[in-house]
Order: sequence, then C-alpha cells, then structure tokens
Amino acid sequence: MTPDPPAIELRGLHKRFGNTPVINGVDLAIARGERHAIIGPNGAGKSTLFNLISGRHEPTAGAVLLDGEDVTGLPPFRINRKGLARSFQVTNLFHRLPVFENLRCAALWSLGYRYSFWHRLSRLREPRERAERVMEEIGLAARRDTPAGVLSYAEQRALEIGITIAGGARVILLDEPTSGMNRGETAAAVALIRKVTEGRTLAMVEHDMGVVFDLADRISVLVYGEVIATGAPAAIRANPRVQEAYLGTAHA
Amino acid sequence: MSGGTLRFRPLDLGRWLLWGGTAVLFLVLPHVFTQGFALTLMSQAGIMVIFALSYNMLLGQGGMLSFGHAVYSGLGAYFAIHALNLIGKGQLALPVSLLPLVGGLAGAAFGVLFGWVTTTKSGTTFAMISLGIGEMVAASSLMLPGFFGGEGGVTANRTAGAAVLGITYGPAIQVYYLIAAWTFASMAAMYALTRTPLGRIANAVRDNPERAEFVGYDTHVVRFLQLVLASFFAGVAGGLAAINFEIVTAENVGVLRSGGVLLATFIGGVGFFFGPVLGAVVFTLFVVWIAILTKAWLLYLGLFFVALVLWAPGGLASLVVAALQAAKGGRLRRRLPAYGALAAAGAVALGGFVVLVEMLYHLELEAVNDPVLQLAGLRLDVKTAAPWIAAAAVLAAGGALCAAAWRRARRDEAAAT
Repeated sequence: MTPDPPAIELRGLHKRFGNTPVINGVDLAIARGERHAIIGPNGAGKSTLFNLISGRHEPTAGAVLLDGEDVTGLPPFRINRKGLARSFQVTNLFHRLPVFENLRCAALWSLGYRYSFWHRLSRLREPRERAERVMEEIGLAARRDTPAGVLSYAEQRALEIGITIAGGARVILLDEPTSGMNRGETAAAVALIRKVTEGRTLAMVEHDMGVVFDLADRISVLVYGEVIATGAPAAIRANPRVQEAYLGTAHA
Repeated sequence: MSGGTLRFRPLDLGRWLLWGGTAVLFLVLPHVFTQGFALTLMSQAGIMVIFALSYNMLLGQGGMLSFGHAVYSGLGAYFAIHALNLIGKGQLALPVSLLPLVGGLAGAAFGVLFGWVTTTKSGTTFAMISLGIGEMVAASSLMLPGFFGGEGGVTANRTAGAAVLGITYGPAIQVYYLIAAWTFASMAAMYALTRTPLGRIANAVRDNPERAEFVGYDTHVVRFLQLVLASFFAGVAGGLAAINFEIVTAENVGVLRSGGVLLATFIGGVGFFFGPVLGAVVFTLFVVWIAILTKAWLLYLGLFFVALVLWAPGGLASLVVAALQAAKGGRLRRRLPAYGALAAAGAVALGGFVVLVEMLYHLELEAVNDPVLQLAGLRLDVKTAAPWIAAAAVLAAGGALCAAAWRRARRDEAAAT
C-alpha cells in the first residue's frame, strides 16, 4: 500500500521578483492533518511562500503539489476548488457586505451553487446553515448584519478566519492570524484556530512564538528564502542554527 | 439593496405592499395625469427605469463603471425595429408586445460578444474598454448604413402587426401599458437577480475581487455573466424605445446616451436597488419636461448632479433611506422643522439663481428681439440693472438663510444627542 501523499508538498520552489530572489529552493512536505507553522525573521519570504502555494503568485521554478496533484501556476480559484483556502495578513474581507453575507459568499462555490442565477438565496438552507454555524464558531453571531468594514479589528481578524474555513477546505493556510492582537485576543484566536482546524491540515505563518509552540505539530524555519530547519517544536527550540538565525535575536 | 452602509429592510409584508403598490401606481397613473404630455413622460420614464436598473447591475452591484452601456440598449433597439419592419412585411409572426424580447436577446448576444473582453478586469480597465467599444459601435453605425440607417436612422410603424385582443399600439395609452408591464416585470426580475448566488457574488467581487478568487470564484466569469444579464435588460429598454418612438438612430448607441444613464443612475443612488428608479424618473423629468420649459435645462441637470455628488453622494435613495431611518428612530418629527427651514431657504436661493440664469440666457439669445423676459408672471427687462440686482439679492439672501438653517439644524441635533 502506498502511503497517502502529503497535503502540501513543495519541490525545489523558487521565486524571484525582477532580479531579487525571494524563495530559493524550498522543499517541504506537510502531512495530512498536521498543524505546521512557518517562522522566520521579517523578509524571509513567509508570505511569498503562501502566495506561491495559494496561486496568488506563480513560482519562477519548482512545483506545488496539493494532495499529490500538481497545482503549480493555477489561478487562486482553481486551487481553492481543489480544497485549499487561505487567510491574509492584511485583513481582506468583503467590506460592504454584512458578516453573514461574507460567510455565505465564502461557502457558495463549495456547496455547488457556483454562478447560479436561478436559485433564490433565501431558499438555500445549506449555505445559510453553514454561514450561521461558522458565525457561531468565530463568535460573531451577534454581529450578523454588521458590514464587515465597520467591525472592530479583532472581529475582522475572526471574520478573516471564518471566510477561510467557510468553504470547508481540507487544507487551511493562515497568514499571521494573531497579528496586531493583544494577549487576550491572541488566546481567543488560538482556541478558535485549534477548534476550527480540527481534522484539517493547517499551515500558518506566525510571529508570536507562544502561539507557534502552543499550536504547531511541526515547525519550519525560513531564512532568506530557504528552509533551514523543519521539525517538532522541541527540536526546533534546541536547534543552534535556528537559535542563531531567529529565536536568539528576535525572541530572547 | 444590500451593500449600502445604510440598511433598509422592510418586512415581507412591506415588500408585498411595496411591489403591489408599484403595480397599482403603474395602473392608475395615466388616469391621474391624463394629458398626452404626461403619458409621453411616463412612457419614457418607464424605459429609463429599466435602462438605469440594468446599468446599476454593473455599477452598483458589480462595481463596473461603464461608459458604453448604450451599446446594448441601442443595438437591442435596432434589432427590435428591424424585427418590427419584418412584422410589418408579414415576414415575421411575432406579436408586437413581445418585441422587447427581441431587443433583450440582441442586447444579451452583444453582451456575450463584447463582454468577455470588457470584463477581463474591473476598475479603470473596464471603464476604458467600455468607452472604446462604445466609440467603435457608434463609428460603425455611420459606416454600415444598411443596418443602422445612416443619418436618418431606421423608422417603423408599430401598428403594423396583427391586432391581438384589440391591441393595435395606435393609441399612446396602449404603448404606455406595454411599457408599464415590461417595466414592472423587468424591475421584479432584476430585483430577484440581486438575491441569487450570482447576484450576491457580484457584490463580493465588487467589494474585493481578490478575496472572491480565494473562495473559488473566477471574477472574470462573474463580471461577464453580470454584464450579459445587464445587457439583456438594456436591450429590453431599447426594444421598448423602438416601439415608443418608431425610430432608432445612431444616437441610441451613442456616448451621450451612455453618459445619460450613468447620470440617471448616480442621481438616484447606486447603493440601493430602488435608487436608479428614482434617478430615472428625475432624469426623465429633466430631459422631457424641463427641457421644454427652458433652454438652460442641461445646465440645471449638471448643477443638480454636482450638488448631489457633493452633498448626497449616496444619491436621492440615500436621502430617502436616511429619512425613513430617522422616522423609525422617532427623530423625524423633531427634525422636520429644521428640514422645512432648510428646504424653504433652498427654494429662495434656487429662485434667485434660476431668475439669474434665465435672464442670462435671454440676454444672450433673445434680447436682440425683445429685452423683456416673461418668467412666472414677472416681466423682467434684462437690459436694465434692477432685475439683475434684485435676483442677485434674492440668491444671496437665500444662500445666507441656507447657511443659517444648516447651522441651526446642526446645533439642534448636537443638543438633542
């Protein structure tokens, strides 16, 4: 019996913007059901890596495989339809639509309603229930009819995660989900992420080491566009190269 | 209706009343305003309502600023009038009542043809390509006189078809009811479309195309489908115009008409479904009625537009919704005196301004023949200084009153909250 292919596999991934290399040959495999954190100093290329995986940018060389299937260079919507969803570091919502509609829009494609202009939304039970369930999970049920653009920052971050999970993707990428949050908000976000990614594959970029060591099964350290170490949290903490490149300086 | 920062959600009962009321209004209007002129005005307003609502499927709902929407209504009108001529020759067995469908299908077909290119990107790219296609079609209207009828356009006779149930479309009242029926059906259909998956995703693509791509949607396809549907309704409006005027000229596909529908839609307000309905009615009042009263109508329309953009960028609909919300919150009664004072002061200023403009037009265009301008029972000799000074004084006084009323309203509001 052949083992399951990894949820995400990167093979020799390169990206350069003009003459500036940003990702220099990343090889990485994230197993199904794993919670994987990607850490590294500012400018290491963490967000770019996510942009390459999710189809926002096309790699200069190398391949991205999703559940063993080559998705390199596909547009974002095709990669999303294959079961990968992502959040953004800078909040990226449908700002004039209410919370509920944000979530329902995020669920419509995956539930098969696609470009339909012959279904009445108010009659569609599944999208409504999905949106309501996610709204409960992210704690925004009381803000159902509030336009996303006027939510508080922490609420927008929660909705950002909600939109990412509403389509039921098997693989979730979260780009700095706790950025800009205070201690209490971060703790709530961690609990939320733990809950909503249950049974799914999670890859996250995160700066908060507390969050990383709390959530991640494995950690990869990205420095200057290269993965210098991958392993369990304890091994990463003990790795001298990592300590030198990142932990020792930024988070003594 | 969704998408505005102000939200207005009538109950389902309210919605039935609203649509039922609209239908009743369409039915009784010609019995209230019985003059032939009123019928002309209402017929044109109905056509404009469809056109502006279809435009708002792009601008308000899909975030696409089009400078070439008349392409679809105009080509729809051409196909409808050619079909009407075929009916007249007995070569096409189609009731004239269904002619707008020909316009709609032609509009949608050109939506398919041009839309894939125009909707590649939103924003400036879309606006520029729509302008280019508008110019292209307007240019070809002069190069292909066989289809477009050259300078004179294409004419037809709407009474040509066989009378169905005694409906000949000879009398204008029959045309009015045809337009009213199509307007009501189109309004209902376009409203229903806003409440479908595609309609909602069009809002999402308007707000944030990038994020829409990351929840599975090809934004190009969303914009394309939205444009094709909008083109269908634009074509319906064109088909009705062909029946109403019995002539279609190159103007119907021209940039002026594309600009007109933008103006009408914006005046009404793009953030609410019913906004373009208000805008279309006001716009038609300007084009049909005020244009008869004064040569300066385009100036008034332009200034009205600028005033709205400056002081009520949400359009007339946003004012209506704000008033409704104030009424719901019990604040309207308290604010009524302030609104009344503001309106009265505004009327004084407007009066002074209109007299000045009319005297200026009279001085430039008519004074050689007769220096006396007759306006609302006044006899004003534009070659003397007195009426100028008086009008300017009225305008200045009105302006000062407006400012005072505005300050007073602000102060009262601050004190009450």
